[in-house]
Amino acid sequence: MSIVETSAGDAKNDAEGRFQPHLLGRRTPIAIVSAIATTVPAIAVIAVLLVLFSKALPAIKYNGLHFLTSSAWNPGNFYANPVVTNGVEHPILAKYGVWPLLTGTLESSVIALIFALPLSVGAAFIVAKKLPPRLRSLAGTFLELLAGIPSVIFGLWGALTLGPILSKHIYPFFAHHAPNIIFFRLFRGNTGNGEGLLTSALVLGIMVVPIIASTTRDLISAVPRLTEEGAAALGFTEWEITRKVTFPWISAGVIGATVLGFARALGETMAVAMVSGAVLGTVPHTIYSTYSTIAAAIVTQLDSALTDATGLAVETLAEAALILMAVTLLANVAARYLVKRVSSTSLPIGKGL
Amino acid sequence: MLQDTPSFDGDVKKLDEGSITESADAVLSVRHLEIGFNAKKVIRDINLDMPRGHVVALIGPTGSGKTTFLRSVNRLNDKISGFWTKGSISLHGEELLSKDTDLLELRRKVGMLFQRPNPFPMSIKENVLAGVKAHRLAPKSQHDEIVRENLEKVGLWKAVQDRLNDSPFRLSGGQQQLLCLARSLAVQPEVLLLDEPTSALDPISVEAVEDLLRKLVPEITFIVVTHSLAQARRISDHTMFFYDGKLMESGETENIFNDPQMPETQYYISGRMG
Repeated sequence: MSIVETSAGDAKNDAEGRFQPHLLGRRTPIAIVSAIATTVPAIAVIAVLLVLFSKALPAIKYNGLHFLTSSAWNPGNFYANPVVTNGVEHPILAKYGVWPLLTGTLESSVIALIFALPLSVGAAFIVAKKLPPRLRSLAGTFLELLAGIPSVIFGLWGALTLGPILSKHIYPFFAHHAPNIIFFRLFRGNTGNGEGLLTSALVLGIMVVPIIASTTRDLISAVPRLTEEGAAALGFTEWEITRKVTFPWISAGVIGATVLGFARALGETMAVAMVSGAVLGTVPHTIYSTYSTIAAAIVTQLDSALTDATGLAVETLAEAALILMAVTLLANVAARYLVKRVSSTSLPIGKGL
Repeated sequence: MLQDTPSFDGDVKKLDEGSITESADAVLSVRHLEIGFNAKKVIRDINLDMPRGHVVALIGPTGSGKTTFLRSVNRLNDKISGFWTKGSISLHGEELLSKDTDLLELRRKVGMLFQRPNPFPMSIKENVLAGVKAHRLAPKSQHDEIVRENLEKVGLWKAVQDRLNDSPFRLSGGQQQLLCLARSLAVQPEVLLLDEPTSALDPISVEAVEDLLRKLVPEITFIVVTHSLAQARRISDHTMFFYDGKLMESGETENIFNDPQMPETQYYISGRMG
């Protein structure tokens, strides 16, 4: 059979008689299937980008660079006759800006991570190291169940339960006692009915916890026992083992998991749409402000956008989606860079230990 | 494990307290030691004295309890559920199997080298200093000197002096094990426990480690668990033969290998068992 010869493939000796194996190997069924499997994701990403871009093109022409910095979100007058600017037909007075949505997306996701990261890593260490084996698997199961809960349920819970409780009993305390100086000023002001930046960031945080925690837990259990025992045998305290051996060993992986969680938070739609307050045109000025994110805006605006006969509203949503995708891709690239830096200093990851 | 072996005389002469000469030079003394996991007894009533400044080889078939014993000396088994001990292990007369034992200090005095190299995820330099820092043994100004001294001791200095801040995981397996040895030596232990320290190494590295042990006695007492009889013969001054949780026979290596007293010992060292 040819499988055995696959690695040799279409290899041949070159002019000077040196042997060079063919890089891609022979075209066996396995090679063909794996070629398809490896190219499909790449093609999918490029196709999505292309379709989004072509759909957004008129909006990009009409909104211009201003789209990134403007705070306006005015679809214009759908009932008046459309006018044409820059070769794009649009409702009169239409003006769009993604700035509040972009900041809302980033702010809510960053705040979500601020809550989720320590909670997840702490939970992972407790599950992996402190719980007795029987409880360990039970806790792990619940962690995975948490990841499987549909986001609309989180949204409902956030809007009906968490938000009202926080705004009634918790937020007022901070709102009254936060000092009126930079940063802390953000915690002052009207706490609203519970829909807003902080509540939705908390809901997002809870949704992100299982992603980071279960990955971190697996990473912790994959740290070689011999290495941790070596640290114990050298007279390290338990805390020193965790801090100097276990955590550095997994840190690159935790960064990767964190970015997964961040990407999830950036793109999370339903829960945020339900808890954000769905306000489009203003940048949140306190931590309790109602706001929206790109993903939530797309889902809440799509219906009305479809009634725009000129199509500009939908094309603008596509443009916003394009920006969301760019942000997510950027986060991934940044993560890769970070993971590479961390693992090149001292970690065995990727070095074939 | 013991198929086709002749039945041993059930009444084996036991080593007891009386038969051991109380030597002032003993670094470790073990009295009536029993070790088990839950209902299973792994070590049965062991008495022994480890002579100071020698290499002591613990040999015996798999499951004879030698590694369990070794890991009990620095209390590394404590975390295993169901683990228990009875009797006494003392270091210079200081009881080690007590709940008041300072484990961190014990582990500084009694170091350990494992079956496979286990460098920590930090630079080569930080690996050597890991124990020194944990026990605050030296001011920062002496750290560079400590790194150099210990890497020179294990013969690694020339190879790594230009990449002290690099990852230890790029070193070869043998070099990694030498680094772990340097890390253990840096805290100036009195006893070093070695659990099959060369089983994962290539022959050249094995030789390097073995030569080192011979060089480092008598400052340090080495207790080496090994499955290689040839190694036990090459490196040890004393050999202790474990069998079925008991210390069957103990004495100078030459005597154990040339004139074993117990039938089990004879059988094991002739290579027909284990």
